[in-house]
Amino acid sequence: MALSVSLRSSVTPPELELVASEQLIEIIPLISMDKTAFISGAYGPLRPPAKCKLPIWMATNLKLKKKCHIVPPAWLNVDFLQDRLTRETSQPEFCAMPFRFAEIAKIILDVASDDVENPDKIRSLLKDLREARQAKSREGITKLDHSELSLPNLCSMEINEIRPFFIRSMGVLTQLTRDPAAAGDA
Amino acid sequence: MDDNYYSIDSILAENQKIQCTFKVEIPDMGHLDGGSERDIKPLSKMQIPLWMAYILIFSDYTEFSIPAPFNARVRNALNAEARSVRLSSLVGQGGSWYGFGKLIVRLLDDAPADEMSEVLTKTFRDRLLEVIDQAQHFATLGSGGGSASGDTAQTFREGLESVERELFVLAQESTKRTKRWYETTDKSVK
Repeated sequence: MALSVSLRSSVTPPELELVASEQLIEIIPLISMDKTAFISGAYGPLRPPAKCKLPIWMATNLKLKKKCHIVPPAWLNVDFLQDRLTRETSQPEFCAMPFRFAEIAKIILDVASDDVENPDKIRSLLKDLREARQAKSREGITKLDHSELSLPNLCSMEINEIRPFFIRSMGVLTQLTRDPAAAGDA
Repeated sequence: MDDNYYSIDSILAENQKIQCTFKVEIPDMGHLDGGSERDIKPLSKMQIPLWMAYILIFSDYTEFSIPAPFNARVRNALNAEARSVRLSSLVGQGGSWYGFGKLIVRLLDDAPADEMSEVLTKTFRDRLLEVIDQAQHFATLGSGGGSASGDTAQTFREGLESVERELFVLAQESTKRTKRWYETTDKSVK
């Protein structure tokens, strides 16, 4: 199968969103539902107003049909993100964020912004966080080596964005760097 | 640019010519340089493509000199400011400067080969950041957007050789995709 060159070495963002949607999230259901078996597991029963954990794909589906309210995860609030942002701008390393925070945050803000307090501030904090981290990964390029590069605490969407050209650059550097063991090779 | 027999990049890079000085006489091969000589005389100079030169040099029939894209003047310019050198004018549009350099490295002995390989890696690293920056900048402009960054950026882009062009496209594509994803909202019930 012939994929275009840029798709051969990375995954598309919508695909990452799909993968992230498998994670569980808490909801407050507005309807009742018995414990139902799905391919990924059995969820429910939904007995309002008790909270229940469901996969994000199911939560967004119910929310769009106005059958539940989504409880934002612990890290999706102004204080947490503000704290992370200050850490990000003061330290040279990446600060620890939940691995798929970009995808999950986007899904929740799109579908359930009324369930999140202060969504605009959160959106702008996330944007700042993203830019701060991008600036750091840009510096990581200058330290590129043909054998290894360690960027701890980088998250799923960011890795996906830099993967194609980082790998290709490292490949080129491997070709160009002369291995002393291969010296005098005919 | 690999050593893979089937690698197209490698084949194209090997097609470039280097100046060789023959040490022995070779009868009936004078047509190689397009001249009218019937034989190749000793000490005659000819431009031979790398794939052929490789064998001739290792069998000790010729000697060669470092070709123009890698001479001292180019190296000094690269040392001073790698990003201002137009690599594509050294090897032609679509040519591969790095690929060519790598093949020359294989022909040289240890000391000049290490130096050459240093030049190649340093140049690559210096230019890489600029390539990526421009790619990300272009991912945000619409197609056909005017270059607001001016002439230097455009000259740099025109001076990219084939490997750098590939990286530019990869970076631009992935940035475009991610950006588009961040900006779309899909609220339809799936």
